[in-house]
Formats: sequence, C-alpha cells, structure tokens
Amino acid sequence: MSSDFTLDQIDVDGTVRTAAEDAGAATGRRDLLRRGALVGAGAVGATTLFGSFLSPAEAAIVKGKRSKGNDIAVLKYALTLEYLEAAFYLQAIRNITFTDPRLEFFAKVVGQHEKNHVDTLRTVLGRKKISAPVFDFGNAVRDEKTFAATAQVLEDTGVAAYAGQGGNLLDRTVIVAALSIHSVEARHAAWIRFLNGGFAPGSGDKSPAPAAFDVALTEAKVLSAVGATGFIKA
Amino acid sequence: MSDLFSLESVDRDGAIREAAHGAGAMDSAVDRRTAFRRGATVAAGAALTTGFFSTMLAPAEAAIVKGKKSKGNDAAILNYALTLEFLEAAFYAQANANIKFVDPNLAYFAQVTGAHEQAHVEALQSVLGSAAISSPQFNFGAAVTDEATFAATAVVLEDTGVAAYAGQGTNILQSAVLVAALSIHSVEARHAAWARLLVGGGAPQSLPLQRTNKAPAPWAYDQAMTEKQTLRAVTATNFIVG
Repeated sequence: MSSDFTLDQIDVDGTVRTAAEDAGAATGRRDLLRRGALVGAGAVGATTLFGSFLSPAEAAIVKGKRSKGNDIAVLKYALTLEYLEAAFYLQAIRNITFTDPRLEFFAKVVGQHEKNHVDTLRTVLGRKKISAPVFDFGNAVRDEKTFAATAQVLEDTGVAAYAGQGGNLLDRTVIVAALSIHSVEARHAAWIRFLNGGFAPGSGDKSPAPAAFDVALTEAKVLSAVGATGFIKA
Repeated sequence: MSDLFSLESVDRDGAIREAAHGAGAMDSAVDRRTAFRRGATVAAGAALTTGFFSTMLAPAEAAIVKGKKSKGNDAAILNYALTLEFLEAAFYAQANANIKFVDPNLAYFAQVTGAHEQAHVEALQSVLGSAAISSPQFNFGAAVTDEATFAATAVVLEDTGVAAYAGQGTNILQSAVLVAALSIHSVEARHAAWARLLVGGGAPQSLPLQRTNKAPAPWAYDQAMTEKQTLRAVTATNFIVG
C-alpha cells in the first residue's frame, strides 16, 4: 500500500514543519501524555485534557478550517491511535494463550492491519512523525475476556475518531487514505462484536452494526476516552 | 439520526435544485426507467463505458464530477448514494419477505441490515427533498429467494457499498454531506464484515492473508470505487430492471 501514500502533494517540509516547530512538538511530550492520562482519569474538562494530553503540535487539529498543517495534525492524531491499537494487539498475542481460535485469528489479522496503519502513517509523516507512547494495558492484554471486551471499545472508538476528522481534511490523498482505514476499523469493530455475542438474534446494541448511522467523535472526546483508560503511561 | 441530516448548511433548495433541474432530474419517470433498462443492456455488452455511464442513470444522477467540488455535485453524489441504498433496501426487504431462513443468525442480520438500509434511503430522500430520484424497479431472482444465494450476494453488495462511499470522499464539498456519508460508510463496512462472518469468514486461516481471502476484514486498507466502476458492477448483476 505504500505506493498509495507517496504523498508528494503533502507539504511535509514547508508549512507543516513550520507549524510543528512553532507548536513545540518534540520536547515534553511524555510529561504531557502522563499528565493527560491523569486528568483523563478524573474525567475533568475535555478542554483541559485536550490541551494537556498531547503535545501542542499533536493537539493542533482545527475544526472546520482545512489546511496542510491541519492535515499533519490529524495524521499525528491518527498515528497515536494506531500506535495504541497496534501495541494492544501485539501484546495480547504475545501474552494470551487463547482458548477461542476464532478470537486468536481476529487478534492476529487485526494486529497486522494496525501495524500496517502505523507504518503507513509514519511513512506519510516522514520527519514529522511522532514516536510511540509507552503503554500499559494491564489485564486487557493478559485475560482473554478482558481483551475481547477492550478490543470492541477500541475499534468502535477508532471508527468514530476517523469519522470525526472527515470534515477537517484538505489533501485529497489524505482523505482517500483516511477513508480506506475508516471502513477497515469498522470491519474490525463488527468482527469483534460478532465474536462477543452480537451475532445472536436480539443482540440489539451489541450487534455488529448497532445503529443505522455511526457517530463521529471529536479529537477532544476521543482523547478524553483514551485518557480515561489509563493505557498511556508515558 | 435525523439530526445528522437536518442539513441546513446543505443548499438543497437553491443551487442543488437548479442543478438537478438543469440536468434533467425532474424529467418524467418514464425517461428514467428507459435509461436504466438501456444502461443494463449496454453494460451486458461491456462496450462503451462512457456511453454506459451516461445511459445507466438519468443525467443528474450521472453528474458526479471528480475532483471538482460544488453543491450541484453534492446533490449528484447524494442521488448516486440513494440509488445504491434503494437497491440494498429492496434487496433485504424482498429477502425478508421471501426466505424462510434456516439460520436464525442470518435472519437477524437480514432484519437489522434491512432496517438500516431503509433508514439510509429515508435520510437521503429527506436531504435531497424534491431533487431526490425515485426508486428503480428491481429483480433480484434467487438472491432473495434462496438463503445461500442471499448470503453470498449480501457480501458482494455490502463490500460494494463500502467502496462506493469511499470513492466519493474527495468529491464532496459540504462538510455536512461528508459527515453524513462517513456515518453511513462505516455502517456499510460493519454490514460487510457481519455478512462475511455469517458465511464462514471468521474461521481461522493461515497467515499471511491474501487480498482475496474471506475474512471479515480481508485487508488493511479498503479499496475505493469510482461511480463508473460501481455502476458497472451493479449493472452486471441485472438486478435493475426498470
């Protein structure tokens, strides 16, 4: 897929670099992440969390005002979420001795997808890419049932997160890339919901497709939800 | 969900209606039906994609301009989406009416998904108002009478729906339209994965996976299809008869 993402049109070196440098990307990211996680645990003001959870450059998505710099902010935000998902599946596959082979198959396939998404986003961002946070998933990557329940929440959140950025993107290639990932996250979500019992008649809001229209989440809401998990340690 | 579609920012009464009228969308249903039928015939011969493109749907419906965003174009995209949703909704409604499902899980999928597609139809009609096209006539044959054929067809239709919405992401001007399209796009993907699971796609396979595999999420990136590619695929089914 990397050929689809040779983003010549994206100005990673001009506008984007300036924006990132102005925003003070590199330093203090870990402190901010840690602080953000703490704030998130308290479920305090989404605005506060939004401002402290990620470094300024990462939290720089401007709603409804499309620009190349904004595209980069969105891509970094997507990369953060993909880092989290990829690490989650990798650790689960390593730690859990699955009793359900279908769940193991899900974990392996989806883990590979998330790894691909990470690699692609890092390539697209080039020198503007952020590095992976440190995660601690606790039981979610050790206990099979907790893993399955957590995977459902993470995938549903991923779907809503991509949907929430649709109106903020400028570059055509970025839009195409985001949409090609968006529906894959939805497939993952439906898959794990099915395995968690959603296949059964009458499963209702537990079904693979619980509503006719999926909701979108803003960056602030997603980061608040992620912060509340306590999965990001540094 | 009508909230999503209370698109005050969508200019459905101004530019969109003008564009639709100008393009002939308000012409009689007779012309449109003839066009559908003619399009099906042309496609069967796999000739003249441009000719096919313009005859398959009425002018306003085939008016999506790639890469040039406008409110008129948004209306064309919405009518294109409506056509696909009409097809899906009718497919599930007829299957639910005709098939005595042996697999209760498949019956549940058909019931839930059918309700979703009907909701999509109604939302798109509401957004388009008087510019909305009317439903074609369909003949799904064994796909709505035979359980196994239904399941296999559902996979194809839902996968196509995912690709069709993805293909319009860069053509949409208005944020409200894009938000609405995205909220449907991922639901079609959920349907696709669900259907794939019901036909056995969740069974462990050896890795690495190939693009052609049957898994609910068969690849890391879903493909997009242009309007032309989608209409060609739909026409090849011969499901649209009038």
